[in-house]
Formats: sequence, structure tokens, C-alpha cells
Amino acid sequence: MILGPTTSNHPHRDTDPSRASPGGFAPEDNIYLPRIAVLDRVVDEIAEVRTFYWHFEDPADQEAFRRFRPGQFAQVSLFGTGEFPASLPPSPTEHETFFTIRQVGSCTGALHQLKPGDRFGVRGPYGNGFPMEAYRGKNLVFVAGGIGLIPLRSCIVYALAHRHEYQRIQIFYGAKTPRELMYRPNLAEWESAAGVECHLTVDRGAEDWTGHVGVVGSLFRKPGVEIPVENTIAFVCGPPVMFRFVIKDLSALGFSERNIVSTLERYMKCGVGKCGHCCIGVAYVCVDGPVFSYEQIKRLGEDI
Amino acid sequence: MRFRVIHRSQLLDFVELLRREYEVLAPFRGRGRDTYFDTVTDANRADIQLHVSNPQYPPKRYVLPHIERLMTLKREDGTLRIQPTLDTPKRALFGIRSCDVAGIYHLDRFYLGRDYRDGYYAERRRNLLLVNVVCTDPEVDIDDSCFCVCADTGPAAREHFDLQLMDLGDELMVVAGSAAGEAFLADPLFRAGSQAHIELRRQILSDVRKRFKKTTSWFAATVRYVSQDKILDKTWEEIGNRCLECGGCTYVCPACTCFTVTDRAISPTEVERVRLWDACALNGFTRMAGGFNPRRAVHDRRNRRFFRKLAHYFIQRELTMACVGCGRCADVCHGEVGMPTVVEMIRRATAAEDRNPSLIAQGTS
Ligand SMILES: Cc1cc2nc3c(=O)[nH]c(=O)nc-3n(C[C@H](O)[C@H](O)[C@H](O)COP(=O)(O)OP(=O)(O)OC[C@H]3O[C@@H](n4cnc5c(N)ncnc54)[C@H](O)[C@@H]3O)c2cc1C
Ligand code: SF4
Ligand code: FES
Repeated sequence: MILGPTTSNHPHRDTDPSRASPGGFAPEDNIYLPRIAVLDRVVDEIAEVRTFYWHFEDPADQEAFRRFRPGQFAQVSLFGTGEFPASLPPSPTEHETFFTIRQVGSCTGALHQLKPGDRFGVRGPYGNGFPMEAYRGKNLVFVAGGIGLIPLRSCIVYALAHRHEYQRIQIFYGAKTPRELMYRPNLAEWESAAGVECHLTVDRGAEDWTGHVGVVGSLFRKPGVEIPVENTIAFVCGPPVMFRFVIKDLSALGFSERNIVSTLERYMKCGVGKCGHCCIGVAYVCVDGPVFSYEQIKRLGEDI
Repeated sequence: MRFRVIHRSQLLDFVELLRREYEVLAPFRGRGRDTYFDTVTDANRADIQLHVSNPQYPPKRYVLPHIERLMTLKREDGTLRIQPTLDTPKRALFGIRSCDVAGIYHLDRFYLGRDYRDGYYAERRRNLLLVNVVCTDPEVDIDDSCFCVCADTGPAAREHFDLQLMDLGDELMVVAGSAAGEAFLADPLFRAGSQAHIELRRQILSDVRKRFKKTTSWFAATVRYVSQDKILDKTWEEIGNRCLECGGCTYVCPACTCFTVTDRAISPTEVERVRLWDACALNGFTRMAGGFNPRRAVHDRRNRRFFRKLAHYFIQRELTMACVGCGRCADVCHGEVGMPTVVEMIRRATAAEDRNPSLIAQGTS
């Protein structure tokens, strides 16, 4: 006996319900609680990649979600398989909400199985996003490779919807083959629109391809292309190899590391800075990113 | 200093007082050297340990359960229903050590502060009363791994508890650290103390501090070296190479915060989403798209935990340190790279460095 005898004897309270707290906390305060979304339609983009148009079951959720910024992401829940992070390719200036997802594993695979009318969960938006307001008055150069166009689509559409706020807008987009160019209707629109230069390229051409052949960076040296370096922000998203080469090209043009921005993709479980999975160097990518300048990325001691 | 005293023979009455309102958890002795926190019942209350070697399984689980159901997802007739779940009894943690009080405070800073507030954590924390017991028995309470003195968290916590008990012999000094704690002191079990009690407390604490002979004051310096990126890759590699990637340190750490989330089936139409403690040293923790491999030793997952805990950036961000000096990781580590050893390895390497500064140029960058 360590504490010694007791002089009083209180009734045993383990079953007393008054000791339980009054049931939990409000759903609005639950950072892990997904809201129910309904799949509207599915559009094939390229092999293994589809765009999923959806809306929230509850209009109030839809309204709250509309405040997202280009470059932010959401956590998508599939019944029975779990959650995964997905960029928000729409611009807040558009009316539809959608994801563009490559099928790589269990969750993304489960999403690809869904039919219009099926339900899934979405929470967000999360992350810092691109500071588009801070870029007002600047030239914008978008450099995308492959599915790197997914997060940049949001910025491009946003910038074009606020066209007067920016100076020159240039898009450089490359895919492996012509069949792997995404967002075809948007590309056609950007190629013909006034006030935006859109340059496409493919690594390997095809019979019906009359456009440029070569890596994305080769577009910078295409006759007639002239990239302003002063007062310019370069957005770069794509596979790691492409990223490294484009950084070299941009540096050679005279871009400072501060004016090159990108998004980091790290394994994420919570999206709200708690689970620790996305932590690299001194940053939690989900809350401090996923948008970082190249200067910051280098300081984190990480690779793209 | 406002305080009360309670006679030793009345401690169980105090526990009973707590039990009127709370499920009370307290330290017990298991087999061999094992000690653990468990719910106090009529059957076991006489076995509560006032002095005890701190249980390896940290009391952190009362605010962040090892496995916690967050919600259920139910699919039926084309609909999907998501129902949050939470069950938090009012609990009093009797006998929590000072280092663990600091650990819970760190978790508070992490889960309740910053960009998002974790509602599950908040509810559990709101329902938890901390009754700290000061480590005063140099043989039982403190072992060779303890370095709370160095981490500035013990042996007597200065704040963040509701009530603090300190063994003065026949009597215990009781200090309130919150309004909830203060309310208890109105009970006739507690009596006014005198200047002699304060004197005795001071005397005991100064004796107890001598017990921490193995500790060094290198903790703060280590934080500085890590933050200024002055640790050689060689040293990080040496630390990393001794890590067996078992994750044990994380599971015993009162200040580690990482978790993973997984869905598991309850029935064909229903799954539960649970979160579980996770460890950054484990393979797959930071899987990255594209199979990227970290370039530098400091980013090696086997070093990540130390970097995360010692980098000034995070300490500044959370305003508390993610190591509270409990020494548990030193006890469980098979590779003998607990926090005190890491601090010592960094000290030795840096001391060698100071004698031969040329190494700096070769090692870092
Ligand atoms: C901020 C952010 C935005 C993203 N946006 C998009 C997007 O718009 N479209 C898109 O198709 N994909 C996007 N991804 C990647 C997408 O999250 C992963 O492909 C997805 O999590 C894979 O889940 P899974 O269950 O299908 O794969 P799993 O079965 O878990 O694993 C399959 C493969 O994917 C990798 N992987 C698993 N989880 C992740 C993860 N969370 N992040 C990165 N790689 C992972 C694994 O290492 C493995 O190689 C984004 C990732 C992040 C972090
Ligand atoms: S790092 Fe080790 S000594 Fe520090 S709080 Fe965690 S388990 Fe205790
Ligand atoms: S994804 Fe959980 S902390 Fe970033």
C-alpha cells in the first residue's frame, strides 16, 4: 500500500454519465471532417488521367469552398480506401469545381471507378496557393510539363480573367507526345486568344503534329519567342527532370531564384499541418506550401 | 507562493475527491521494472505509486490516443454519410511527472495553435486535469537517462499543471496552477502551510538536482549548432547509422506529434477512419511521388526526428521544444542514440571541430 488507508469511501463513479463531456464539438471546427460531394461528369484527358466535375451536396459547403486560391489543394475521401491530396485546377473565377487525377494507386484508382451521381468526400481548400494579387503589374510566364499543367491551369485561367492586372502572359507547355497534351479545349482557346502567347511542344511528334518538337526549355529559344526577365514571375510545374532543366534555362536567361515559383508534392495525410508526413527541412508543405519560390525550395535543402 | 499542505495519510482521500468528478488515472507498478498509468478503481487504489520510475508508455495517450477513431463513413443506397465520433470522459491524471506536463504543454502548442486547431485534441485536453507529482525520490523517481534539468522542465514543473504535489516527508505541499486546481484547495483535506514548508521544499529540490550528475548543459548549445547548420554531415551520418529504424523512440516520446490515418471496414457498408501514432524514422513515412531521395544526411529520415526537435525554427514556431528531457528514448533505443547521446555526440564532434576548424570547410555544404 503506497498511499496509505483511506478514511472515507466515495461511491464508485466509473459509470456515471455526468462525467462524460457533452457530445463533442461542432462539425465546422472539425478539421478532419470531409463534406459530401457528388460526381457530375467525367472527362478523359489523356491515358490514365481524367477530369472529375463535382459539386458539394450542401450548397453552403459549395459557397464556403469557392474562396479557394490558385495553387491550393483539397483532400479527397473515397469510401473504404482513404484520402489523398489533389490540386484544384479550376480558377475561383470559374463556376464549376473539378479535379484532374492520374490513376496511380488505391485512392486515385477508386476515384476513377466512380460514376456520375456517386458520392465521395472533399475537405479544403488547403495550402498557401500562389499570391496572384502580389503579382499584379508583373509579366507572368507559365512553364508546364505533363500533368504539371493541373495546378497551373488555375493560375492561367485566373490571370486571364484578371487580364488587365498583369503585363505580358506567356504559356509554355510540353508533353511527351501530342496525345498527352491535356486540357485540349483550353489550349485551343489560349493559342487563339488575344493578350496571351501560348507555345506547345512535344518530345516526340506524330503524323498529324505540325507544331514544335523538343523539350519545354527549347521553346525559350524558338524563333520569335522573347521572354521578359525584368518584373517577371515564372511558374514552373512538371516532373523533376523537366524542372531541373527549366530552372537552368531560366537562370541562364537571368531569372532570379526568387522570381521562380513552383509547387512541391509530398506525401500528405492531413493537409492541415498536424500529421507530420509532409514535413521537409523546416517546412510543413501542406500549410507552408505547396507553393514555394525556388529560393525557398533550395533553402529547404530539398529537391523538387 | 500560495500553497496548501496535505498529510500523507490523507492522499487517498484526495484521490477519492478527484474520483467524484473524474476518471482518475495514476501510476502503478507492473512486473519487473514495468510501471504504467491505469484507471484507479476501488480494487487497485491502494496500489497507486506516489514515487515511481516514469512509465515508458507516456500519458500523452490521454490527449492523443495511440489509436483513435475520428469518424465513420457509411455508404447506403447511393448516399454517403460521414459521422464524426468522439468519446472523452473527464479524466484526472494523478502523478504525471514534470517532464510529461511540459510534454502535454508542447502538444497543446502544436495541436491547438498554428494554422488549424485540432478539435479532437482540444476536447480531450479540456476534459483532462493534470495533477503533477514532483520527482523527489532520487532512487525511484529519477534514473540515469533523465535530463529534465537540462531541458528546463523539471524536476518541479513551474506551470501548466492544475495541481502540483511535492513530497515533504509526512506532509505534501500542494500548489494550484489553474482555477480548476485552485477549486480543490478549498476542501478541508488541505491546510495552510508555513514558511518552514517552503524552506523544506527548497532544500529537497536543491538535493534532488544533485542527482542529475550525468547531465550536461549542452542542450541549448546543440540547438544552436543544429539551427546554424554547423553539424557536419559526418556526425549526422554517424547518428543515422546507429538508428535501426524501429520507431520505438517516437512511441515513447511525450512530445512527438506525428500520426497516420487509415480507413478500416466495420461492415460491408461502413468504415471507420482512425488515426494512429506514426514515426518519421519508419520507411515510407515521407514517400514522395517520383521516388526522390534526400541529398543530405540531415534530411535522412533516421535523423529527421532529432532535427525536428532541435531546430530553432520549430522551437520558435511552437514556442516550446519538442523534447522535454524525459529520457525515455534513451531507455528504449537499441542503437543507443537517444536524445542525450545525440546531444553528447554533437558536443564531442563540435568540440573536436573547435580544435581543428579546418574540418568545417570540408564537411558541411
Ligand atoms: C498538394 C498535392 C497536390 C496533388 N495534386 C494532384 C492532382 O491534381 N492530380 C493528381 O493526379 N495527383 C495529384 N497529387 C498526387 C496524388 O495525391 C497522389 O497520386 C495520390 O495521393 C496517390 O494516392 P493513391 O492512394 O492512389 O496511391 P497509393 O496506392 O497510395 O500509391 C501509389 C503511388 O503514389 C505515390 N503516392 C501516394 N500517396 C501520395 C501522395 N499523397 N503524394 C504523392 N505521392 C503519393 C506512392 O508513393 C506510390 O508510388 C497531388 C499531391 C499533392 C501532395
Ligand atoms: S526526445 Fe527522448 S528525451 Fe526528449 S521528450 Fe522525447 S522521448 Fe523524452
Ligand atoms: S499533410 Fe499532415 S502535416 Fe502536412
